[in-house]
Amino acid sequence: MGIFTEGITVECPPGGTPVRLWWRGGCWSVCDEPLCWYERRPWWERETRMPPGEGVGMVDTRIWRLQVRKEDPHGLADDGGCLTLDVVQQRPGGSWRVIKIHDAVDDVFKEQDSA
Amino acid sequence: MPNFVHLHSSSAYSAHFGVSWPGELAQAAAVDGDALAVTDRDGLYGMVKHVKACMDAGIDPIVGVDLAIVEEGPDGLETTGRVVVLAHGSSFPAPAAGYAALCRLVSTAHARSRVGVTLEEMAAAVLDPETGKVALTVLLGPYSPVGRALGGRRYLLPRTRLRQWRNAMPEGSLVVEVVSHLSTPGAPLSTVHAVRMLKLAQEFDVPAVLSNAVRYSREEDAATADVLDAARNIAPLDQLEDLQPTGQAWLKGAAAMEAVAHEVVHQGGYGSAELARLWANTAQLADKCRIDPVADLGWKQPRTPELDVLGLVHPAGVELRQRTEAGLNRRFGSLRGDALEKVRTRLEVELDTIGGLGFDSYFLTVAEVSDMIAGMGVRRAARGSGASSLVNYLLGISAVDPIANDLLFERFLSRDRSTLPDIDLDVESAQRHNVYRRIFERFGAKRVTLMSMQNSYRARGAVRDAGLALGMDRDEIDQIAKQLWRFSASSFREALEEKPELRDFAAQVRASRGVDGPGDPGDHGGHGHGGQLDMLVDLTERLDRLPRHISMHPCGVILGDSSLLARTPVQPSGMGLPMSQFDKHDMDAMGMLKLDVLGVRMQSAMAHAVREVIRLHPSREAVAAQGGHAPDAPFIGDGGAIDLDAVPLDDEPTFELIRSTHTLGCFQIESPGQRELVGKMAPEVFSDLVIDISLFRPGPMKSNMVKPYLESRAGFARPHYPHPDLVPVLAETHGVTVFHEQVLRTFATMTGCTLSRADEFRRALGNPAVEPAVEKAFRDKAAGKGYSAAVIEEVWAVLAAFGSFGFCKAHGAAFAVPTYQSAWLKAHHPAEFMAGLWEHDPGMYPRRLLVAEARRMGIPILPLDINASRGEYLAERTETGATGVRLSLAGVYGLSGTELKRILAGQPYTSLADLRDRARLSRPSLKRLAQLGALDSLHNQAKGRTGSTANRADLVAHVNSLPVHKSGRRGEPITGQLALPMEDVELGALAAGHPAAGLAETVATELDLLALDVSGHLMESYAPLLDSMGVSRASALLGLRNNTEVLVAGVRVATQTPPMRGGKRVVFISVDDGTGCVDTTFFTEAQEKSGPLLFGTRMLLIRGLTRRTGPRGITVQALEAWDLQDTASLPVPAGAPPGWLGPRQTDTIEEAHSNPRMLLGYGAVHDKQGVTSASGFTDHH
Repeated sequence: MGIFTEGITVECPPGGTPVRLWWRGGCWSVCDEPLCWYERRPWWERETRMPPGEGVGMVDTRIWRLQVRKEDPHGLADDGGCLTLDVVQQRPGGSWRVIKIHDAVDDVFKEQDSA
Repeated sequence: MPNFVHLHSSSAYSAHFGVSWPGELAQAAAVDGDALAVTDRDGLYGMVKHVKACMDAGIDPIVGVDLAIVEEGPDGLETTGRVVVLAHGSSFPAPAAGYAALCRLVSTAHARSRVGVTLEEMAAAVLDPETGKVALTVLLGPYSPVGRALGGRRYLLPRTRLRQWRNAMPEGSLVVEVVSHLSTPGAPLSTVHAVRMLKLAQEFDVPAVLSNAVRYSREEDAATADVLDAARNIAPLDQLEDLQPTGQAWLKGAAAMEAVAHEVVHQGGYGSAELARLWANTAQLADKCRIDPVADLGWKQPRTPELDVLGLVHPAGVELRQRTEAGLNRRFGSLRGDALEKVRTRLEVELDTIGGLGFDSYFLTVAEVSDMIAGMGVRRAARGSGASSLVNYLLGISAVDPIANDLLFERFLSRDRSTLPDIDLDVESAQRHNVYRRIFERFGAKRVTLMSMQNSYRARGAVRDAGLALGMDRDEIDQIAKQLWRFSASSFREALEEKPELRDFAAQVRASRGVDGPGDPGDHGGHGHGGQLDMLVDLTERLDRLPRHISMHPCGVILGDSSLLARTPVQPSGMGLPMSQFDKHDMDAMGMLKLDVLGVRMQSAMAHAVREVIRLHPSREAVAAQGGHAPDAPFIGDGGAIDLDAVPLDDEPTFELIRSTHTLGCFQIESPGQRELVGKMAPEVFSDLVIDISLFRPGPMKSNMVKPYLESRAGFARPHYPHPDLVPVLAETHGVTVFHEQVLRTFATMTGCTLSRADEFRRALGNPAVEPAVEKAFRDKAAGKGYSAAVIEEVWAVLAAFGSFGFCKAHGAAFAVPTYQSAWLKAHHPAEFMAGLWEHDPGMYPRRLLVAEARRMGIPILPLDINASRGEYLAERTETGATGVRLSLAGVYGLSGTELKRILAGQPYTSLADLRDRARLSRPSLKRLAQLGALDSLHNQAKGRTGSTANRADLVAHVNSLPVHKSGRRGEPITGQLALPMEDVELGALAAGHPAAGLAETVATELDLLALDVSGHLMESYAPLLDSMGVSRASALLGLRNNTEVLVAGVRVATQTPPMRGGKRVVFISVDDGTGCVDTTFFTEAQEKSGPLLFGTRMLLIRGLTRRTGPRGITVQALEAWDLQDTASLPVPAGAPPGWLGPRQTDTIEEAHSNPRMLLGYGAVHDKQGVTSASGFTDHH
């Protein structure tokens, strides 16, 4: 598991969930329904203004946990298996970044099953 | 899935929690929902507004509460969580059953010190007592005892708790509420938790519903909720444990809620069937809880106490007719013929209207309360438009004759308006709570409750809590808060640009930007805030107007029938009696009869004065002699009792006093602006006072009515009437429209409409939504009646400017009565009147100004004396035969209530030892009494016998050196044994040694310990300094010519910032220099020059120009101000020729400003330190 951030391009219908992304020179398709949650931002430390009526996306950041599989340039499935990525879409602006690459085993899913 | 109904949302009325107003929530919900629940925290505070908002938005209201659950723990009751409780609508099981159960539940929760209900109480409360069926549904959500047990992946605890709830609650009253705010997986309000709740619900076979636990209508308001979390927990944001985990608590649309539901169902491993079930359960519960405002809440259906409670044998209509007939004979017994017929016709019209609206029992109820108060021997007076009604006059509710004063019933009540009219009763403030208790006794606790009011964030509170959230330094925030002066928090940023007193702060804000971001280049901030001040301004604006808590309304009492407590939840008020969670805006909608019983300090002050007159002059002859009344004056009783209400309204000395403008202490006419107005107007008869009080309002001021009125009155100008038809309407005020009644008659005259229709027109004035329609109707009808375009134009301009302001003549007449009475007392019994004023402190000024006024009037101010002073300010005959006022021991700083009681019980004292033994005072209290000279009489007595020359300073030193008082009763004389009167050996032997205190020191001590300057005026010690600068005294100003440049100085006694035409702010500051008040005006430029001094400084030196305002009036237009105590800053030029700033004539500044000072009295109202506190012109509470 590594922690860093990288800019990426994501195909995501408005209001929907990501479908496909371009990362490290390759094209990856989302192969399972993603997990999504929000994490708090300490806006009072990072921002200098928070006027009434503004500030969408200042309080929390949306995070997607995507299971992705590399697409074969010829349309055939890559057999390299699934990879789990945490990506975030930054607001305002809407640019996407990868913030975490997971190992094969996913803690969260494991926890879910036992719940 | 187009329709989603939110079953759990907090409005702004959830104090320190909810962000959005009911209207915002309802509008957001209406986008793709057909109903909305508002479930405020621990109360129905926003319920009525919510129902209104839903009706406006065209959706069904659902009402409920987000209520704390308590449980007996090892240390008593503790809160174990919160649940949502929704009231069922009219078919489940019966109309109003659900809502009544909800009201009782909330009241139960407030009946203990820790708000909340136990599980057992909840289980009992959900049942309708009539049918035994379930009337409420409880939602166990993420904050419930069950939801809170989910953390840490515990298995057993949530199951134990849910089983407990399911077993205790009646079948069909419980659901599980699934909420995901999409927080980090595994954290509270995460989808993981929502899944666990859903699984629990399935396991226990309890239906699950979906909600979003809404706190704000829009996404962008999430940050405001963060700040409220900080304010609620009184901790900075970065130290909060209770901070919402994400900003997802907004009122999401159906699609977004479906996405949440999908996440939960998917992560739980379920399919579309479960999703559909969750969705359907939610819709089903929503349907069960749709409220029919009329059937369930009794929307707009007035309820009054039952006839038998009022002691009526006949129907209310019959009873009202009989009583008014009796009143007719009593009040108008001498009338005959046409005059009597006119009164009878008026009575018929009124009774017909009242009966038609079904308000007979309302009037009888008010009459009952009014009679009850009179029976208690408490002064009372009706105020407001109620004085317009002949019925009120005949029932004895009002003392103003509506026929003689030409008051219109239609202004009070008409068939065109079905809301309950307001009848307001003023009573002695000191008796108000007793009156409330008697009303509860008289009508029964189930029919009466006090009304509440919402206290909301204003600028100062908002900046304090915003600063707290940001973790800013407390002292720094206090400094900023002190500079905020009468503007709403929402315009903070605008104010920073404009207001001189915020100049320093604005510079800090700019400077702070330079620290870590782009800001003004070259502007280096040294405060290290790093932009925090900019954030502070934004967060302050976000908090603006949000409710903080409810408190007892100053005068509202709600009277109903025996169903009242099933229609409003109640909670304890500050005085102990229950108060409704509804405020005045909710009364009409809920059909609640509100009676305003207002405590008026002036009524208490006058009652005190009259009691003092009788105490010193216990016979008719003595009172007549002292007050200069005729020996057979009908208003004096045989024992000397004065019936103020019987005093004739044509007493010349009273009007002389008013015309002198020495009206400090008089009701309604003591403010700087009013003193100026009475000086110009020179009232001669009672109706002049009615006009004076009515003129001193925004409407007449804004439409420039004062000047033409005064000029016509003085005979300088001929009265102008737009049309001869209007002469009868406007003659009493020389062609100027002053009263609401005149507006009504103008409409009626020019359009031919009825007076009640005309009142509807009047109400529309100033309301941009409906005024254009009124204007069109007026123009069309008036043109139809043949009035020329020019006349129509002119009259409409007056009406439009009048707006909805102006004054009801009935109200003016009701106010003018205590105005006249207080002036009468000041003219005839000044010392007793002053005692009443000091005791009850009714006016706008600090008490010390009224002491200065007594000094000016030559009334002896008798110092504190351990034997002569009591616990009240009392009038006292001095050796010279004059009447003075003896200071009260109750005013001594730090003297406890029990010490005061012991002193009074033990009076008189023969020696210091006697005082020590019997009053058992703490050493600091004894020392303070010595410092204030209260022991001087004992001391002097002893000195007279021994020839000691010790002074007060020696006495203070001696008292200070005494051993601390020993507790216990050892030293006390045995009961029944009289203390022997012995000579005060102790004081007689006191050695002289300390230098006597000077006047300045004595006065400083008095101000510290009494907040009064008694021995001399506070300014006296400044005399040499003032003389060296050539400062003019207030008493000398009247002798100066207009436009003379002067220096004046004094103690600030009043500061006002009335709203001005054109938006430019004017600040009025009045200072007292011991010879009287100087009223000064600061326009923009002078405000700029004075900056932070404007509001923060107590002692001021002001340079300005005299402005003559009338034969008896002069004010100062300020040019610049200094802090008198900051001697180094004062403009004493080195080597200046003597008299460099003496009066000299300047002609450069023209008479530029009309007379904004007169706007005082409805604008800012200052607290007793001369600092703004509230607004509104009925400030004589």
